[in-house]
Amino acid sequence: MDVTGILDEHKNRFKSIQVERLVPVEFDLGLLACFDVNMIDEAQLRASQKARDTYLQELSREGAQLMINELFSLPTTVDEDSVYATLPAIRTVLPREKPAPKEKPMTRWEKFAKIKNIQNKKKSRMVYDEDQGEWRPRFGFKGVNNDDQKPWLIEVPGNADPYDDQYKARREEKKERIDKNKRRAQRNFEENLAVEKGMKPRDMRKRELQSALVLSKGSTASMGKFDDKLAGEPKVKGLKRKFDPLVKNSDKEKSNNMEILNRVSKGEAKATGVVNVRKAQRAINNAKRSKKQE
Amino acid sequence: MLLKPKAKNARAKRFLVNRDPKIVENGKTALFVRGSTTSQVILDTLKDLYSLRKPDAINFTKKNEIHPFDSETSIEFFARKNDSSLFAVGMHSKKRPHNLVLGRTFNYNILDMIELGVERCTTMQQFKAQTCAIGMKPLMIFNGEAFNQNEDLARLKSILLDFFRGEAADKVSLKGLEYVITVTAGPAGANGETGLVFFRAYTTTLKKSGTRQPRVELEEMGPSLDLRVRRVRQPAEDMWKQAIKMPRELNVVKTKNISRDGLGDKYGRIHVGKQEINKIQTRKVKALKKHLDAKPSKRQKTSDDMADSD
Repeated sequence: MDVTGILDEHKNRFKSIQVERLVPVEFDLGLLACFDVNMIDEAQLRASQKARDTYLQELSREGAQLMINELFSLPTTVDEDSVYATLPAIRTVLPREKPAPKEKPMTRWEKFAKIKNIQNKKKSRMVYDEDQGEWRPRFGFKGVNNDDQKPWLIEVPGNADPYDDQYKARREEKKERIDKNKRRAQRNFEENLAVEKGMKPRDMRKRELQSALVLSKGSTASMGKFDDKLAGEPKVKGLKRKFDPLVKNSDKEKSNNMEILNRVSKGEAKATGVVNVRKAQRAINNAKRSKKQE
Repeated sequence: MLLKPKAKNARAKRFLVNRDPKIVENGKTALFVRGSTTSQVILDTLKDLYSLRKPDAINFTKKNEIHPFDSETSIEFFARKNDSSLFAVGMHSKKRPHNLVLGRTFNYNILDMIELGVERCTTMQQFKAQTCAIGMKPLMIFNGEAFNQNEDLARLKSILLDFFRGEAADKVSLKGLEYVITVTAGPAGANGETGLVFFRAYTTTLKKSGTRQPRVELEEMGPSLDLRVRRVRQPAEDMWKQAIKMPRELNVVKTKNISRDGLGDKYGRIHVGKQEINKIQTRKVKALKKHLDAKPSKRQKTSDDMADSD
């Protein structure tokens, strides 16, 4: 039985999907892009606008056909009613919009969990509350764990005073837990900061304490010369109280006194000539806002 | 210099964390700004490019004193405020008529930009074709070897790819390949001027072809732009290197020693080290024990005798 006739008829019914190109076209399917380096018919492009547009449309159609051919040959996954083609990785180098995030150092818990190989178990947001017969969030607004009504009865533990308020005890325990968590988060933050600066957290704390100590010396009139010293406190050099000489230059004495007077009557800016830009801007903004409200 | 904003509630904090550097980044937002003087042509171009770029696009309708090639501060300020890493500035002057500057930023600093003169613009409204839905990823075609050879056109190609990339996706619906953007590099002019770059956009219709791959038919959708490259600002070496650097987490981990054959069966390869068979610890069998002094035992003798007798 000669089927070639039927096959030819079938083939002729549809338009061809083949495209001829001398140099094979390069594809970057991850970007849905193709780069065609073949020779373009320059005469057509220099011709009239209509001829040019027709030629460009033809070129585009062929390029699009080549890409569709490639895309339809990719491995596919079917999802509901649409077919998805899995795209390969992008080959052209495109720049990011922001630099890559720096690796955050591990917190104490993360280090511990890594050693013990503790996996993070995902918990669902909603929990079924049997008493009320409905789904409630595990935490947060109308959550299961911060309901004051639950439990409606608390047994007094064996070693506790029977007159103690157990509900109060529960609330206080919860506050303690929250505070503990905050302290730990703060500690993690400080440790992270220290690691980012390249120091050990203990060394950083030591440095902070020492700088605070030196600052506190300035609050005494004798610059901390006669304060009780701690064991191992380093000697601070150069922390002296400066006194002006008794007999001063008369010009200097006059300018000093004028500065004090101006500072009291007109303000820091007029006295020293130094303006705090931030404060000034805020004052202007406040004035504008109050003017708008009028 | 903008102060880093502090979040006062959880929603604000989430908003700021979204703008922080990430391993897998958000899709780039494009900002469309007008210069101090504009022409109808350039306004139409900006409007059309904005509608192609929706929803990740911000359109400024007021005019701004902005000259990207002269001063970077304006662009960087806008980029920081709007968290946009792509920008398009349109302006018009006698010296540079219908001027369009396309560019991108890295870490809120200008990375690179290219200045194009729009010599002819046909808007989407002038084509009677049906426009495609918002947010579709286009197919991009670059015709001409000039895009690989000419440094300026290579930069244009890179910027246009970034501009029309859409959201990063590892899967694409075969029904959603709705439009095509073609950029063709035209021949250089007779007096040595750079050639025109033809920007065309079409909607696709997929028709039956009797095979698995459909036949593509195009209809011009617009905008249709004839562009001429004017000035180009290439990126600084070190900034470009930093921008290309991919975080280590994105490196694809190659699975070793696992392969699939043609039928889809999964094969694993186990490498057993060199085994010294003599030294393998097995259960002790006294009979197999090698005697240091090769004394023939009584039993052997009797078997020999038996053999002899036979």
